[in-house]
Amino acid sequence: MIQHLLHISHVSKHFGGNVAVSDVSFSVDEKQIFGLIGPNGAGKTTLFNCITGFFPATSGEVIFDNKKINALRPDEVCRLGMVRTWQRVKPLGSLTVLENVMIGAFSITGVTREAEAIARENLHSVGLTDYAGKPAGSLPIGLKKKLELARVLATHPKILLLDEICGGLNHTETGIILEIIRGVRQKGATIVFIEHDMKAVTSICDRIVVLNSGEKLAEGTPEEITNNPDVIDAYLGGGHNA
Amino acid sequence: MKQIFLIAILAAIAAALPLFLGENPYIIGIMISVLMMAALSSAWNILGGYAGQYSFGHAAYFGAGAYTTMILITLFNLNPLLCMAGGIVVACMIALITGGIVFRLRGHYFALASIAVAEIVRLSVLNFEFTGGAQGILLSDLSLWGLDLNSKNPFYYGMLLVLVVTLAITAHLRKSKTGFYLQAIREDQDAAASLGINLSFYKNRALLISAALTSVLGSLYGLYIRFIDTSAVLDLRLSIEIILTAIIGGVGTLWGPVVGALLLVPLAEVLRSNLLGDALVKAGLVSETSGMGLFLKENLAHAHVLVYGIITVLCILYLPKGILGLFRRVK
Repeated sequence: MIQHLLHISHVSKHFGGNVAVSDVSFSVDEKQIFGLIGPNGAGKTTLFNCITGFFPATSGEVIFDNKKINALRPDEVCRLGMVRTWQRVKPLGSLTVLENVMIGAFSITGVTREAEAIARENLHSVGLTDYAGKPAGSLPIGLKKKLELARVLATHPKILLLDEICGGLNHTETGIILEIIRGVRQKGATIVFIEHDMKAVTSICDRIVVLNSGEKLAEGTPEEITNNPDVIDAYLGGGHNA
Repeated sequence: MKQIFLIAILAAIAAALPLFLGENPYIIGIMISVLMMAALSSAWNILGGYAGQYSFGHAAYFGAGAYTTMILITLFNLNPLLCMAGGIVVACMIALITGGIVFRLRGHYFALASIAVAEIVRLSVLNFEFTGGAQGILLSDLSLWGLDLNSKNPFYYGMLLVLVVTLAITAHLRKSKTGFYLQAIREDQDAAASLGINLSFYKNRALLISAALTSVLGSLYGLYIRFIDTSAVLDLRLSIEIILTAIIGGVGTLWGPVVGALLLVPLAEVLRSNLLGDALVKAGLVSETSGMGLFLKENLAHAHVLVYGIITVLCILYLPKGILGLFRRVK
């Protein structure tokens, strides 16, 4: 049997009678960049929430690093090495940019000096060094996205779940973020990311899963996905210029 | 480190003050009140200011310290330090029960539950027999274990010591993992959890530190006044005054609670003793026998909570970060 780093098996999430995610399965291998795409309301963020412990899946299993993590809290999931970013960025507004990243670093060290060193390193890698002393709440959106990325990188994760990390960014900014993501993979991390920008997804992903109305519609390489008639019909065909 | 030096220097100045002021019990009494409120508000600030969990029931921990100490002394004549330790245990138990249940929930449940728990404690104490019920507990001995209860100086230094310890803990926390985690929880609980922070563990930790310090102050207060009842040590009004002191001085700052106490406690004293009314009369602005003079004399003394309220509203409107926030903005 092949060992997958992250294995989602028949995961469903119901909110009352509302089915947000229905029987979704896929596996992510180590060092993969894995794309999760689908129209609005397809259940991508809900699936992220189930995987990272924010709400437990109604049924199904989430297996990470050979460990069932369904019943774990978000902080436990993070300490196992899986960390997520937020579609609507969540800066710790009155703390400085540096302190925000230090919070991430504290999950791997208890020493303030070390946390600061790790934080500075990660601020440098996303190009936020000049903003270290600014309150995080005062940054423009593009820099807040970078801050989200630096903060999760400081936890030294095995796998990153990025929820529309390029959302709201222009082409240049998106390019910079994608470059950072490639660098992170180079260092050995695995990435799952939700994205709307098809150009970004197809240029960077090794493998893609398409969700539609909570169900898995297709899975494959970027070429397979862009040529899949179901996907074109349900998603790309809907006026989206791929 | 800088802050620790500042704490040490100010503590040394505060420690020397009684030597210069002589044995004026009135002045010493007010200074004890300032130190106590500064320490209470600082202890509250660890939980409310840094972790963002507003407790409206800190009187419960203050009362736990005061009652446990007084009961242990009157019944068993235990060493006061042991009694304080007993008070810490009781306060921490109340804190653990409250936090253990409520901190699993998000939102404002803790604020509501803290009021409920404090009221449960107050009503229980009021109705139990071993707590003296509505009569309270009077300590008739004037000396305990070599401690002269007639002298105010030991309590001045006792309160000062607790204040210094509280500020030192706060200063240390701010630069440590726990302190950063508490602030992350205050700013955004989802983000905090996603970055590996066990929310209820750290909230409970802040609550326990805060409750233990508050309880020690209650113990000192009981021995200092030698009489306690529920309206003195378990009242909701005390909880509110603790919060207002922090808000007016500056929530979530090291020195805010101290500034708040330095301002509000003397102000309350001025109003309570009607110094303001007397001053207006002396200045010839108001005649003592006129309607206005009589009104001031009758009412101003009871108005200190009202004045707190007005100051709080003004603070929220114009100085949302408290008096210390003003200085930071100027910088």
